[in-house]
Amino acid sequence: MLSDDEILRYSRHLLLEEVGESGQKALKKARVLIIGLGGLGSPAAIYLAAAGVGSLLVADFDVLEVSNLQRQIAYQSSDIGANKAALIKQRLANLNPQIRVRTVNRKMDQAQLMMELMMVDLVLDCTDNMASRQMINAACVQAKVPLIVGAAIRFEGQLMFFDHAQADSACYHCLFPGTEEETLNCSNSGVLGPVVGTIGTMQALEAIKKLVGLPSALTNRLKLFDGKTLNWQTFTISKDPQCSVCGQKI
Amino acid sequence: MNITVNESVVALAEGSSIEKLLISLDKPLTGSAVAVNQQIISRSKWAEYKICEGDEISLFQAIAGG
Repeated sequence: MLSDDEILRYSRHLLLEEVGESGQKALKKARVLIIGLGGLGSPAAIYLAAAGVGSLLVADFDVLEVSNLQRQIAYQSSDIGANKAALIKQRLANLNPQIRVRTVNRKMDQAQLMMELMMVDLVLDCTDNMASRQMINAACVQAKVPLIVGAAIRFEGQLMFFDHAQADSACYHCLFPGTEEETLNCSNSGVLGPVVGTIGTMQALEAIKKLVGLPSALTNRLKLFDGKTLNWQTFTISKDPQCSVCGQKI
Repeated sequence: MNITVNESVVALAEGSSIEKLLISLDKPLTGSAVAVNQQIISRSKWAEYKICEGDEISLFQAIAGG
């Protein structure tokens, strides 16, 4: 049952045939892990908290720096120097007191990540480096937890969804198998705030759809966003049978 | 034969593989992804995958920022 407060708060969801009371209850029951609370994680966390995702686990070991504020819209100038996970927890608690928010404020190793995955329904990869992305992907494959991946630099965004609960799901490593490769990130390439914000917002949209049981057009797909032309390109990713992370183990 | 690479027309020898295309374009073999007609081709297949006349190739880099 939804409380009177919840019926008021989520009235615009309840009007949607695709969400309704059953969808809102599904959101309330859901547990989502957001890893990385920067330009992607800021809008993603705010939208999921606002939508009433009942249990959010937010992870970031970084402290807020002044150069983050150009795109990391969850924070304020007075927050500089504090841990982002603690800051966003406060922000989300003020936004929606009806949800639970737990923080991880240090770097997770594979073992801790595997433990946390036992207690979540969905993961959003909002990190800023290839090593974390590969570790999160491998852990989600192993734990069979669905993973929504976002990334952005300059005017470009990348968005993917892998439903690791499905045996035929491709994975991030099928697409990008290089772990040690130099990759482009915001601090070496620059990024526009609304570009990374668009991708983080799309991660939240796909998360809500998944949690209320709507089909995703992003499953085993990669979407590339061009912030200059506003074009989206869509590519199909097939599971690579030779993938060392998700391929058949002999 | 003619193909397109990121929407530009490129002439390529018949029967070329993706790996050969990347080398001829002087593109790095690491950190890149390749799609042929909107289907991602995993890196393990680049040496054997033969490109055909008219194929639309998309080449892009992994990005990690967030």
